[in-house]
Amino acid sequence: MEASVFTKTLRDQRRGLVGWSIGTAATVLLMAAIWPSFSDIDIDALLAQYPKALLDAFNVRAMSTGAGYLNAELFSLMLPAIFIVFAVGRGARVLAGEEEDGTLEVLATLPLTRSTILVQKGAALVVDVAALAGVLFASTWLSSQLFGLDVSVRAALNGAVAMALLGIEFGLTALAIGAIVGRRNVAVGVSACLAGAAYLVFLAAQLVESLRPLRRLSPFYQAISGGPVDDRLPPIVWCTVAVGVVVFAVSIRVFATRDLHV
Amino acid sequence: MFGYLGPNGAGKSTTIRVLMGLIGATAGTAKVLGVDVSSRRVELSRRVGYLPGDFVAYRDLTVGEYLQYLGALRGGVASPVVDALVERFEVDPGRKISTLSHGNRQKVGLIQATMHRPDLLVLDEPTSGLDPLMQREFLGLLREFRDEGRTVFLSSHVLAEVEAVADLVAIIRNGRLVTTSDIDALKARTRRRVQLTFADRAAPPAEVLSNLASVTRCSVDGDVAELEVEGSMSELMAIAAPYGIERVVSGNVDLEDAFLQFYDDQEGR
Repeated sequence: MEASVFTKTLRDQRRGLVGWSIGTAATVLLMAAIWPSFSDIDIDALLAQYPKALLDAFNVRAMSTGAGYLNAELFSLMLPAIFIVFAVGRGARVLAGEEEDGTLEVLATLPLTRSTILVQKGAALVVDVAALAGVLFASTWLSSQLFGLDVSVRAALNGAVAMALLGIEFGLTALAIGAIVGRRNVAVGVSACLAGAAYLVFLAAQLVESLRPLRRLSPFYQAISGGPVDDRLPPIVWCTVAVGVVVFAVSIRVFATRDLHV
Repeated sequence: MFGYLGPNGAGKSTTIRVLMGLIGATAGTAKVLGVDVSSRRVELSRRVGYLPGDFVAYRDLTVGEYLQYLGALRGGVASPVVDALVERFEVDPGRKISTLSHGNRQKVGLIQATMHRPDLLVLDEPTSGLDPLMQREFLGLLREFRDEGRTVFLSSHVLAEVEAVADLVAIIRNGRLVTTSDIDALKARTRRRVQLTFADRAAPPAEVLSNLASVTRCSVDGDVAELEVEGSMSELMAIAAPYGIERVVSGNVDLEDAFLQFYDDQEGR
């Protein structure tokens, strides 16, 4: 059976992961299935009616290719939302949830440092998000094959990596807030607000010229600007996970000495 | 074996959580087995077993899986020891924890606290929810621990429970340690309410009873005598027996009263 906090945490998350994987794969396959009919439409004539800024924001003009279609329809809002909700829920639950349930009281008196507990929970969270990203990669590539979207393996992989990194950033943030305050609702709430704010900054900076310089600060810009389903992943995407790791590192220090709610 | 007594809300659990390193001390330092808790908790935790007052285990695991998990996190616990404990407390290792009654969960908590044979066993209100038979089994286990030279730290608000096993008793009230004393000294000073019913409506006159040194209060109504007795009851029984005692009802000592009284006695000196 479980030999460590890491494997126990993975086991706890196992069942939910199946559901999320099915949902994600179904979403991707469904969207891709529409592509053959969509690609026949004269897209340029359709898009001419929309404001330029909006087209930029959602990267819609690239929709004449399969990769562009996936970027606009899935990787600009739907999949980031799926990955963030998935990761934040887990990040808040794995530690703050255990503290609220009361099972942490015994765990924290075993011969393990609190940092060990937190790091193993963090590692399990990362593995979990990576597993969902694996499903995303597989379903992107598979649906490209099935419906002729002509997305390369590399591009499908990059898209999944970008979603994973975005999820890991907010998941680690939720875990960190949970470790600092010990309340699951607070961890979910604050992380959701941060994600919402980050998206607003991203959107506003795309639409309003004077805010443009700010956009690089938004994790959404870092992860999805230009469309992550591409043969090349911009280096700025790694800023997402870097921020997550820094926040997490701070929480390790706080969690090591704070009073537990028991 | 050390009994830590106090009414609910006196600060027993808080003290224990400080000792277990779950919360920090707002002032001063905490040492357990001579080791500073805040700087060397992990090292210490190998030698300590802990049963929280509100013990909660993972609901989705079976008893066996839970004990195995905690054993693994403790760096391995001899499985014959665990098996023997599981058998002794009559817990089914294949049952899911979510399906266990409160008493059975409490047993799982006792097993996890004792399975690595710690030098110090810290138990916060451990017998709550155990049936009397299991309480006896449990107290037997504690005595074994003591006889092996281990220390048991037992917190409770039930005097009788501590009385039965503890050698030393500390009393806490409103967050302050009132006293630490030998259990016998405490017993000698606790008062019990006793009701004696005499046969054939032949109760002894109230003066006969109230003149006894151990009787602090006495009233006789028909064949029933209501008394308050301090310490040993042997004197009272010897005097009352010839009158033909039909029934004895001895109320549990109200702990709050016992503490207040102990407290007042201490203050009065």
